[in-house]
Amino acid sequence: MRDECILEVDRIDKSFESVRAVDAVSFSVRRGEILGFLGPNGAGKTTTIRMILGIFNPDAGTIRSSLDSSTRHAPKERTGYLPEERGLYGDARVLDLLAYFGELKGLKRDEARDRGRQWLDRFDLSEWEKKKVDKLSKGMQQKVQFIAAVLHRPDLVVLDEPFSGLDPVNQDLLKEIIRDLRKDGTAVLLSSHQMNRVEELCDWIFLIHRGRRVLYGELDAIKEAHGVHTVQLRFRGDEASLHGLTGVTIGDVEVGRATLELSPEVTPDEFVRHLPAELEVLALHVDRPPLHDIFVETIGDDDEAS
Amino acid sequence: MKLRKIIRWEFTENVRSKQFTIMTILLPAIVGLAVFAATRALGADAKQMAEPPPPVIVGIFLAIILYLGAFMSGVMTMYGVMKEKQSRAVEMMLSSVSAWELMTGKMIGLGLSGLIQVTAWAVTAYFVAGLFFPVSLASLSLVHWISYPLYFILGFLFIGSIFGTVGASIKDIHSGGAVGFAGMIPYLPMLFTALIVQKPDALWVRIAGFIPPFVPSVMLLRIGATPLASEGTRFVPAWEIGVSLVSLAIGTFLMMRFAAKVFEVGMLMTGKTASLRELWRWGRRGAS
Repeated sequence: MRDECILEVDRIDKSFESVRAVDAVSFSVRRGEILGFLGPNGAGKTTTIRMILGIFNPDAGTIRSSLDSSTRHAPKERTGYLPEERGLYGDARVLDLLAYFGELKGLKRDEARDRGRQWLDRFDLSEWEKKKVDKLSKGMQQKVQFIAAVLHRPDLVVLDEPFSGLDPVNQDLLKEIIRDLRKDGTAVLLSSHQMNRVEELCDWIFLIHRGRRVLYGELDAIKEAHGVHTVQLRFRGDEASLHGLTGVTIGDVEVGRATLELSPEVTPDEFVRHLPAELEVLALHVDRPPLHDIFVETIGDDDEAS
Repeated sequence: MKLRKIIRWEFTENVRSKQFTIMTILLPAIVGLAVFAATRALGADAKQMAEPPPPVIVGIFLAIILYLGAFMSGVMTMYGVMKEKQSRAVEMMLSSVSAWELMTGKMIGLGLSGLIQVTAWAVTAYFVAGLFFPVSLASLSLVHWISYPLYFILGFLFIGSIFGTVGASIKDIHSGGAVGFAGMIPYLPMLFTALIVQKPDALWVRIAGFIPPFVPSVMLLRIGATPLASEGTRFVPAWEIGVSLVSLAIGTFLMMRFAAKVFEVGMLMTGKTASLRELWRWGRRGAS
């Protein structure tokens, strides 16, 4: 059931007073898939997420889930949420708090405590289980909050900036855990401004701007569509021979160095095969523009259009 | 069943706190022991007053205890709700439970722990009074035993939900806002204690006894004062006690629902203190 639509959002609208915060937004997340949910600050991400979670309802449009056809939002017991604005009950003890969150998601108390212990162990927080949340560092609190979001093995996890505030070691650990979630068939909605993380993890990308969807598709396809390949070349020989190549735009050229752009119909493979024989290639680097550039460019184009 | 878990959580977390131990165990114990030690040291003959206190004193005393206790517990609820808004744990909570479950659970849980507190004080007061008067619980009839606990429980929840609404509608503790005075409404009848005690079956007293915010104090005073009042005053009829309790229960439910709706909107606008008109709109419509 890999194609099962855990979450299907269909043309939802939401206005506050006279401001249209979300405008006819549609997307879906399938089992075992990570959707990168991107957009500038104030674009409508949090509003959309809150509607998905049923914190409030859309003015129009529908939110469906294959898990439960009776609700107008993602079924609460099968969904986990790590909000961007972090916060836990400071006076509570770590494991008690995890057990409480687990119970509210339908776990038995003992079961919730057991799983809480396992997760604390994985995050190297075992010795803190009886401490008050306030005594933990910010990074630790964030890990505890992440645990609270996944403790009940949800089918859908909504993670809002899960990496912010974590050191590189913990970022890697979290990345590994998110990949494990995907492997286990969890649908993940990952909102982040860290484009490198999104590129590493996400299968699909959704970009929202001013409440509207401006980009949606598979990450590879999006990169292909936006992406001319850029080639950094270092060589020995006469650079004039480069001008004979078809489908190649020459950017900067100086002695022994060139930056080239490949037109969409030229694959890196073809380019390499057709390099003039008289050039001795010293170094070659071919890449697509990073997601960062696609993000900035798409938002910029949309601003111009309106 | 999530409601039960929220109630249990709010209750145990509060009861386990230091402030609760101090206010509920330490303080009453110290006061009780101090008075006891003082009477012993002075060598005063304990039962100086031969006459037991008249029921009306008991009535007034209970009404004051109810309102003081409910006030403190209400303030606790207000803080709790405000902390909930500010902590931002609320977003995680609302992805698990509804605003109604969260608010009701909080108000009931904190209200219950407040009741325990008040019970501790009442017991202390009973013993302290016993040093001076020949007090006995035998003077309380069945009506008292049944109705007083209900007035207390419902009164606590009602006042707690008023304070909960205030907590949900203000930005921080310094901005009492236009709605801060709402918590004072149930206290109005206390200003007329003398009048109520003099003529506990006056029409206006009987009517006030059916209006939810005024029920607890008016009824406690009425029930306490009746035996003392002038010849011919009937004891408060059972049906009036029943109606007042039902009215208070309905009022409590509506007030809690109102608080939950206000909370639903208020949690999304942490930077804002509601005006009276906004409060009314939030409370009617909720977030969606």
